[in-house]
Amino acid sequence: MFLLAIFIISILVSIGSFAFTSRRKEYAIISSAVVMVLTVVYSLLHFASSYSGGYVSVSNIALSTSTGIYFSTAVTGFTDWLLILGTVIIFIAALITKDNKDSRTMYSYILIAGAGLYGILISRNFLFFYIFWEVVLIPVYFMIGQFGGKNKDSASMKFFVYTQFGSLFILLAILTLYNFYSLSHSGVLTFQMSALLNTSFINTIPVLWKDFLIFGFLFGFLVKMPSFPVHSWLPDSYESAPFPGTVILAGGLSVMGGYGLFGILLPVSGIFSSTVLYVLILLGIISLIYFALTAMFQQSLKRMMAFASAAAMGFVTIAFGAGILEAGTISASAYASANIYNYSTFYSGILELSGGMFQIVAHGLIMAMIFATLYFITEKTGKQTMMNLGGIFREAPVLSSLFLAGLLASLGLPGLAGFIGEFSIFVGSFQAISWIIFFLIFGMIITASYHIWAAQKSLFGPYNENLGKIGDINSKEISILMGLLIMIFIIGIVPNLVYVPLVSYIAHLGGIGAL
Amino acid sequence: MNPYVFFTTSITSGLSGVLVHYSSVFFLGIVGFIILALGIFRIDKRITAGITFAAMAISLPVLYFTTSGPAVSMFGGTIIFNDFGTYFAMVMVISSMFIVFPALQKINLKSEVFYALLLFITVGMIIAAFSYNIITIFIAFESVSIGTYVLASFGKDRRTLEASIKYFFTGTVGTAFIIFGASFFFMATSTFNLRGITTVNSPEAFLIALAFLIIGFGFKMALFPLHQWALDTYDGTENSVSAFLSSGTKILAFLIILRIFLVGFSSDLQSVYYFFVIIAILTMTYGNIAALSQNNLKRLLGYSSIAQAGYLILVVVIVAYSATNKLGSSVIDFAIAAGMFYSLVYIFMKGGAFITMNVISKEKIELSDISGLAKRSPATAVSFAIILLALAGIPLTGGFMAKYYLFIALISGQLWWLAIIAILNSAISVFYYLRVIQQMFWKEPQKKDTFNLTGWTKSPVIISAIIVVALGLAYAMFPVLISAAGGLFG
Repeated sequence: MFLLAIFIISILVSIGSFAFTSRRKEYAIISSAVVMVLTVVYSLLHFASSYSGGYVSVSNIALSTSTGIYFSTAVTGFTDWLLILGTVIIFIAALITKDNKDSRTMYSYILIAGAGLYGILISRNFLFFYIFWEVVLIPVYFMIGQFGGKNKDSASMKFFVYTQFGSLFILLAILTLYNFYSLSHSGVLTFQMSALLNTSFINTIPVLWKDFLIFGFLFGFLVKMPSFPVHSWLPDSYESAPFPGTVILAGGLSVMGGYGLFGILLPVSGIFSSTVLYVLILLGIISLIYFALTAMFQQSLKRMMAFASAAAMGFVTIAFGAGILEAGTISASAYASANIYNYSTFYSGILELSGGMFQIVAHGLIMAMIFATLYFITEKTGKQTMMNLGGIFREAPVLSSLFLAGLLASLGLPGLAGFIGEFSIFVGSFQAISWIIFFLIFGMIITASYHIWAAQKSLFGPYNENLGKIGDINSKEISILMGLLIMIFIIGIVPNLVYVPLVSYIAHLGGIGAL
Repeated sequence: MNPYVFFTTSITSGLSGVLVHYSSVFFLGIVGFIILALGIFRIDKRITAGITFAAMAISLPVLYFTTSGPAVSMFGGTIIFNDFGTYFAMVMVISSMFIVFPALQKINLKSEVFYALLLFITVGMIIAAFSYNIITIFIAFESVSIGTYVLASFGKDRRTLEASIKYFFTGTVGTAFIIFGASFFFMATSTFNLRGITTVNSPEAFLIALAFLIIGFGFKMALFPLHQWALDTYDGTENSVSAFLSSGTKILAFLIILRIFLVGFSSDLQSVYYFFVIIAILTMTYGNIAALSQNNLKRLLGYSSIAQAGYLILVVVIVAYSATNKLGSSVIDFAIAAGMFYSLVYIFMKGGAFITMNVISKEKIELSDISGLAKRSPATAVSFAIILLALAGIPLTGGFMAKYYLFIALISGQLWWLAIIAILNSAISVFYYLRVIQQMFWKEPQKKDTFNLTGWTKSPVIISAIIVVALGLAYAMFPVLISAAGGLFG
């Protein structure tokens, strides 16, 4: 009930925000902080010590039993981390919104996006999953359209139509599942994930339909990630969106894609043929390299970081493909005994699968950090292209150091969160796809180089005197960024905080290939 | 059935029963005449509207209590009272109720004629909702059509007149086709009763009847390629009349299409399937693609309503296909229930969208005329945005649930390729709905203010948005519709 209560609170505060005509910023910050704190408390209660995999806080509220519509909620160790990440991102987005007369509705959009994200992650009924999945689009669309920079019309339109197009394929896949379930279970209609997401059931679906539904799900999720070749909405949306919107895009929407892969499809990973998995790995690698190369040639820091974000999500796709591919070779019993503290049982596909999930969490935090810093840089200097910046370390040392820290976390410096996920995936997928590792290294080198390059061009070197006097950030702004940095640091130093529930989650799925 | 036996036996036994079952019809008709009579005393038009609304509101529970329940067949199956017919009758009464107050502002001359006509039209709709005989359907439908020809001409300027003339002529052509088709139907089957076909004497005549009836009712429902009148008419007529034409009469045409082609032509559903699958695809694709480049807001809505008619017609396709391939009655019931739900939501989506045009006090409404509405009246802008998103099928609205059920029906009817076409179409449609939203929310308002924001114009929009959202949350309603859906076949 606690979980449901938090969700209802997040819906109520988002609706309530329309009632506030003044002091919306305080309202948004406080209410998103409340949701965040409650989520953390909830996590501590359920996941800190006693989590042994599977779904907790299961609740089913029947809305229409004969057509199988329930409001069902439950979380796993994985979704719980995404919930924490999501609420942190919404909180940060509320903090870095520029407060002026026009931006009053912005806070409402942020809170609605937060409630929608919450709904996606806790829903265990496909109807509501889909509803929340779409609901998140609307506030982000309005954010880009109303408060966006140049090209906001076309960017917002492109964003909405493109991602909605992807979602429609998810809808078709869901409906296919629904229909075949009712055919094979003598007319029982249900949208419950617990019934529909069943490997042996899905494997009884005729081949053409099964391929179709796999395609539908993957297409919809990869659009959100975003992955090559369905990414073209990304650069315009990220660049046009106001900074809180960019943070939600980078942290929230990629969470949706990642959750789709690891939360929806991983439990039924037995349905994938190895061809599909190789295609996924290939797409991940292409994303990684292609986005890294594209990022190298960007002048705008915001656009560059948009590509960096997409490149980092390439790791997630690789982890998903390689992990299932490798895990397919071992037995269910070996899976169930997986334990993070026992090296020998830990090392079969679980490493990259949990690494992929870790990467989603780490990537969200890092991107929130980077875009928040970029927001402050843009606020101080009015510029966001590398050409127009330069040497701002001299004027704003604290801000520059924090930006540097964000960049280093993003390129995967050991000790920070980004490293752990990438390293796990790197090591883990070596088992499954040995030679392809070469390309990964290539991608990582490019990634490192443009991050360093960005730091050099914008932070160091001779000061660009055209910028005039810019002040450093004040203590309030420092505390926002330091908070994020500390989180990135902690899960970089003590990754088991995240890993333990993730591994329990995977182990509890009980043998991926064996099902 | 032998027509002579029909007259001698059924009529005497049926007449007493029909009086009770048709009490709402008599009631509304009598109120219509009273309103006409009141016109002599120059009663304030608000009172007239109030009486009309109240009469319709009373007729809803009357309809429910007198016609729902186990099927009652009268006059040898000419009229059948069951839950299915009751549902549609109530939906159509609601569609008439919906425009009573929004129309109030623009109807200055002879308002009593307008409201009396609206009541008579509603009477025709209710009769049509229970008819299973081509002749009764035709008469009821014509009484509705003739009423709407007059409604369409209410208004001052020449465009309204042009629109209504155009509507009248094409409507008459449609009527001619229907009559022609009906006579071929009789030739082939020796009956006008849709459920009374025992043998088909002449398959050729049957097929000709099918083709002519499709053309006739295609005109009425504005299906591609018989849609052209609809754009001019919706564009030219007064907003609330456009709302009624594109929602109420369209739903009526949909109901009749369901009935004539699925019940009357049940021995040749294969042909029905082929005809309608082509029409459905063309209609929704054409409507959506043509709407993309429209700058005239009412025409844009007109094209969108053509596309929506294409979605509705999918129900006929699914049922015809499932019945020919023997996929079972649960698929058929689900599809019909999807159509029933869609019809109800459609009234508030499409009707609401057209009624929103009342906030702009211009005759020819361009897309740019609505820019800046969000600044002037946020509540109206948000409500209109909700209505447009519902039309586009975005979740948390009734429009989404309607499409959702329809797509489930398509997939369970094993027409997955058609589901993909429908989904691609609804992805395309997002473009032009978003263009309107863009104009409202972040385009600078025009220099010359053309808004007419009063309680009368704003509240219908807000109310329909609330209903659209509420229907999206009414999950428990659908199983009820499924249980009533079988009533289509009597």
